[in-house]
Amino acid sequence: MEVTFKDVSLSYDGTREILHHLNFTIPEGTLVSILGPSGCGKSTTLMMISGLLAPTSGKIFFGDKDVTKQDALARKVGMVFQNYALYPHLTVLENIMFPLKMAKVKKPERKKRALELAKLVHVEDQINKKPGALSGGQQQRVAIARALAKEPSLLLLDEPLSNLDARLRIEMREEIRRIQQETGVTTIFVTHDQDEALHISDHIMVLNNGDMQQFSSAETLYDNPSNLFVAKFIGEPVINTLAIADFQGELDQHVPADILKQAVSVGIRPEALQDHDSGDDTIAAIETTVKEFEKYGREKNAQLDFHGKKLLTTEIENTLEKEQKLTLYLQKSGFYLFDQDGKRIFGGDQDVK
Amino acid sequence: MLNEKPTLKSTAKAFLYLLPMLLITVTFNIYPIIKSFMMSFYTKYDFFTDKVSRIGWDNFKFIFSDPDFHIAVKNTLIFVVGVVPLTVIISLVIALLLNKIKWLSGLFRTVYFLPFVTSTVAIAQVWHWIYNSDYGLLNYFLSLFGVNPISWLESPKYAMLSLIIMSIWKNLGFNIVLFLVGLNSINERYYQAAKIDGANSWHQFTNVTLPLLSPITFLVTINGVIGSFKAFDQIFALFNGNPGPSKSALTIVYYLYQKFYTEWKYGIAAASGVVLFFMILVVTVIQLSYSKKHVHY
Repeated sequence: MEVTFKDVSLSYDGTREILHHLNFTIPEGTLVSILGPSGCGKSTTLMMISGLLAPTSGKIFFGDKDVTKQDALARKVGMVFQNYALYPHLTVLENIMFPLKMAKVKKPERKKRALELAKLVHVEDQINKKPGALSGGQQQRVAIARALAKEPSLLLLDEPLSNLDARLRIEMREEIRRIQQETGVTTIFVTHDQDEALHISDHIMVLNNGDMQQFSSAETLYDNPSNLFVAKFIGEPVINTLAIADFQGELDQHVPADILKQAVSVGIRPEALQDHDSGDDTIAAIETTVKEFEKYGREKNAQLDFHGKKLLTTEIENTLEKEQKLTLYLQKSGFYLFDQDGKRIFGGDQDVK
Repeated sequence: MLNEKPTLKSTAKAFLYLLPMLLITVTFNIYPIIKSFMMSFYTKYDFFTDKVSRIGWDNFKFIFSDPDFHIAVKNTLIFVVGVVPLTVIISLVIALLLNKIKWLSGLFRTVYFLPFVTSTVAIAQVWHWIYNSDYGLLNYFLSLFGVNPISWLESPKYAMLSLIIMSIWKNLGFNIVLFLVGLNSINERYYQAAKIDGANSWHQFTNVTLPLLSPITFLVTINGVIGSFKAFDQIFALFNGNPGPSKSALTIVYYLYQKFYTEWKYGIAAASGVVLFFMILVVTVIQLSYSKKHVHY
C-alpha cells in the first residue's frame, strides 16, 4: 500500500509542534527507513501511520483512500514495537494467532496460518513457549510474525533491533529484509542507527527536529546530502566540517566566485582527503600538519591540523610521522559547500562529472 | 564471602539476627496454634490450673452433632459466597472507572479508601442507622419506589443480606486501591499492540486487562475468602453483641467466641477453630491449584 502524507503536523499540547508540515509518499512494496537522532519525531511519525496518533492538521492517504480520521483498528496495519509487546500470558502460537482471533478467523484456519508464519520467521520449534522464555531475537521474530498474521497492507517496525546485541542485530536486519522481500509487504522501519537504515532500505527518510531533511536512496543520501545536517548525520567516520573562513584562498581558483560568496560551511568526507594526487577528481590541494597517525588492520587514519582546525582522513597511503608537513588533495566527490541555512550549494552529482 | 560454607559460628550468628522476630512469632503465633490444636482434644480441662484430666475426640463429636455449629458453617459459607465475588467484581469495576477519569480522581480514591481506615464499630453504627426499619435511610430510599419498610436487622430473613451488603461496602476501599495499582502496572504498549491487532475495547479488556490483572485478582480473592471466613467483628457491632435474630448471622468465629467467652467450653471452641482452619486450608489449596493455570505472572 502506498502511504502519502499531505502537509501533516502534530502537536501534543496544542502549543508546541512536534512535527512540521510533513509531505512524502512511500511507494508500494518498498522498505523505507525513517532515520533521525533521538527525539526527532520518527516514532511519532510511525504512530501516525499506524493510527495510534491522529495528526493535528494535514491528511494521510493509504493509496487513494483518506485514512486521517480512521483509528488503528480500522487501518489494519501490522506493527512491531520496540520492546515487542508480546502478550506475556499467551504462548508464541497464541500470540501469532491473536490478530486472526480478533478478525474472527476459524480456529483450524488460524492455527494453519500461524504455523506458516512461525515457519517464515523460523520460530516453529518454539511455538508452545511463553514469550518470557524466548531470547530477544526470537521475541523479535514472533513479533514480526504476529504483525504479519492478518496480512497487513503495511508493516511498521519501531526501532525493532535496538534491544539486540550487535551480531544479532546484523542477522535480524537481514531477516527483516528477507521477510519483506518474500512477502512483498510495504515496510516502514524506524531507526536511529544509520548503519541499519543504509543496509536494508530501498529509501531513507531523514528527520530532524520534526522536519523532513531528505527522502532518497541510501547512495543519494551519502553522495548528495541536501543539507549540512544530512551530511553530518550520514557517514562513519563523521564528515569534516569547517567554516569557509578557515580557507585562505585555497578554493578561489576551483569554485565559482558567486557560489563561494554564499558559502558558509565546508564539508569534506574523510575519504575525500588523499595524500596523493588523483588527477581529474582532485579539486584543490591544502597544506596540513600531521597531529595523530593510527594504523590498525587495514585502516590508516590521520588527524591533521589545517589552519588551526582538525581534519580527519582515512585515505593515507604512506606511513606518517607526527608534526610532519603533508599536502592533501581534496577530491570532488565528497566535497560540499553549504549556505547560511545549511543548504548544499556545491558538490555532489551536479558538480562531479 | 559469597561462597562461604556454613559453620556452627555463622549459623549461631544468623539465629541471633533472627531471634527478636522468632521470639515474637513463636510466642504469639506458633505456640497459640499448637496450643489450640492440642486444646481441641482436651475433653476434661481446668482452665485455671491448666490441668488436663482427659483427652479424646469428644469435642469434635460434639460440634459435628451440634445444630448451632451446622448453622454457623452454613452461614459462614453463605457469607463467603455472598461477599467475595461481589467484592471482586464491584471493586474492579470502580477501579476501572477511576482509572478512566482524570478529574478529581485523587478525591475519589480517598473517598473510596475511607471505609478501610474507619473502625468497624463506627461503620456498623452508621449502617445500623441506615438499616433502621422506621427511620432508616435505606427504607426511605426504597419507599420512593413503593417498597414497604423492611426490618433489615430484626428479621432473620434479611439479617444476613444486611451483613453482606455492609461487608462488601467495607471491603471495597482497599481492594479498589489494589486493583488501581494493578491497572497502572499494565504497560500501555500492550493496549497499543492489541489495538493494532484489531481488538476493540471489550476485547482489550478480556485479552489484556483481565489476564494481566490476574495476580491482583487472585490476591484480592484469597484475601477476601480468608477475611470472610473469619467474619466476627462486623456481626458483633451490627447486631449489638448478638449473632443476628434467631442466629441468622451466626458464623463459625462467632460460635467459637460464644463457646469460649460465654460458655467457657474451651475444648469445643478450640475444636471449632480447628475445623475453620481446615476449611480455609482446603479452599486456599483449591484456589492455589486453580491459579497455577489461570494466573499469569
